[in-house]
Amino acid sequence: MALSPTLLLAGLERTLNALIARDPGAPSRLARLAGHRLLFRLEQPALALAIHYHPTGLDLLRPDDTAEEGFDAVVELDAETLGELIGGASVERLMFQGKLAVRGRTHLLESTRDLLLDLDLDWEAELARWLGDIPANSLAEGLRSLSRWGLRTRQEFCADVSEYVFEEARLLPGRHQLEAMRDQLTDMEIATDRLEARLARLRRRLTEPETPS
Amino acid sequence: MSASDKHTTHFGYQDVPVEEKASRVAHVFHSVAARYDLMNDLMSMGIHRLWKRLAIERSSVRPGQSVLDIAGGTGDLTARFSRMVGPRGRVVLADINESMLRVGRDKLLDNGLAGNVDYVQANAECLPFPDNTFDCITIAFGLRNVTDKDAALRSMTRVLKPGGRLLVLEFSTPDNPLFSRVYDEYSFRLLPKIGELVANDADSYRYLAESIRMHPDQETLKAMMEDAGLERVEYTNLTGGVVALHRGIKL
Repeated sequence: MALSPTLLLAGLERTLNALIARDPGAPSRLARLAGHRLLFRLEQPALALAIHYHPTGLDLLRPDDTAEEGFDAVVELDAETLGELIGGASVERLMFQGKLAVRGRTHLLESTRDLLLDLDLDWEAELARWLGDIPANSLAEGLRSLSRWGLRTRQEFCADVSEYVFEEARLLPGRHQLEAMRDQLTDMEIATDRLEARLARLRRRLTEPETPS
Repeated sequence: MSASDKHTTHFGYQDVPVEEKASRVAHVFHSVAARYDLMNDLMSMGIHRLWKRLAIERSSVRPGQSVLDIAGGTGDLTARFSRMVGPRGRVVLADINESMLRVGRDKLLDNGLAGNVDYVQANAECLPFPDNTFDCITIAFGLRNVTDKDAALRSMTRVLKPGGRLLVLEFSTPDNPLFSRVYDEYSFRLLPKIGELVANDADSYRYLAESIRMHPDQETLKAMMEDAGLERVEYTNLTGGVVALHRGIKL
C-alpha cells in the first residue's frame, strides 16, 4: 500500500523531533542547520530520503523529484556504509575508501550525524516538567539506586550460581579439572597409538616366516 | 442533473440553483470551522494526515518557491509549505470561507508561522492573481465544493507558472466493490452520527458524504484537468481509492 512508507516516515519524523526537542544542546546545532536540505540516496535497496531542517526540528520526505540542484548536499551510500557511518566511522575515511559520495556542502552530513547521535536527553528535566522538581528528583534517585541494585544483584547472582554448580553440586567440572582431564586423555591417546603401532609390528613379524625366505 | 442543465447544480444529492451552491457550502463550513481539525481526525481515523503528507512529498517544493494552497482551510498544508519554502519563498493560504480562513490564520500564528504566509479570501473559479504566479498549487479536499470545477481548474492553470504543478487531493471512488459497500455504510450511517455527537451538526456531515459521491471519479477528473490545459496528468489512489491524488504540470 502506498501509505505504509509514509506512515513509517511520519512516525520516525515525530520520534526524532520529540527527541530533539528534549535535548538542551540541540537548538544551537539546529540553528546552524536550519533551512538546509540534505538528500540521502541509498543504492541497495534503491531509496531516496530528503531531510529538511527548520529551526524546531526536521522534516523527512521521500522526494518525488531528486534533481540535485534542489539540495544543499547529496549523499550517496549503501546500507553497509550507512551502518558504519552510524557506528561512528569518520566521514573522510569512508569517502577515501570510495564507499561514500558526498556532493555539495559536506559538513552538513557531519552536523546531521552529530545532531542525531549525540542526543543527550535530559529526561530528569522532562520528568520535572510533568511531576514538579522534588518528586522528579526523588523518582530519578529511586530509579538510579534501582538500576545500581539491579547491576549488583546480577553480578552476585552469577557468582552464586557458578559457585554452586562447580563447588557444591559438582554438576560441571572446574577449569583446572578440565585441563587435568584433557592432559590425561592426551597421554592415553599417545599410549594407544604406540600400542597400535607395536601390534602392527608384531603382526608383520608373525606373517613374515610364512613368506619364503 | 444533466450536464447541459446550466441552471441547477448538485449540493450533495439535492439539486440547487447554481447561484445558491456557494452560499450553502459556505453555511456548511461556517458551522464546522471550529471543530474541523478534530472532526477530520475522527472521521478519517487520522489517515488524512498521511494523505496530506503524500501530497507534500509529491509537490517537490523547494526553498524560495511560491505556493498557493487553495481551500487550505485550517492550514495543515500551508504550515509545512511555509517551512519548506523558507524565508525567501511565499505561501498563500486561500479559502473562500472567512471562518475557515480565520481558524487557519490563528492556528498558524499560534504555531509561530508568519512572515512568508499570506492569507487571501478568494474563489477558486476566479483567482485574484496575475498569470504565471505560482510554482505549485494545491487544493486538498476543496474541489468538490466548488460550483464550477472546470472554471476553477482553468483559473488554477492560469496562475500556475510554466513548469509548475497542480496537486488535487480529493475523495474519489474506491475500486474494490466490497470495500465500497463498507465505505458507503460508514459514510452514510456512522459519519452523520459522529457529526451529530461531536459537532452537533448531522446535516453538514451528511452533505460531506453526499458531495463525495457526486464528485467525478479518478479518470473523469484526470480528463477535466487535461481539458483545463494541464499535461502529464497522473493520479495515485490512496486507501483503496477513498482518496485520489491527481497531479498535472503546466508546460
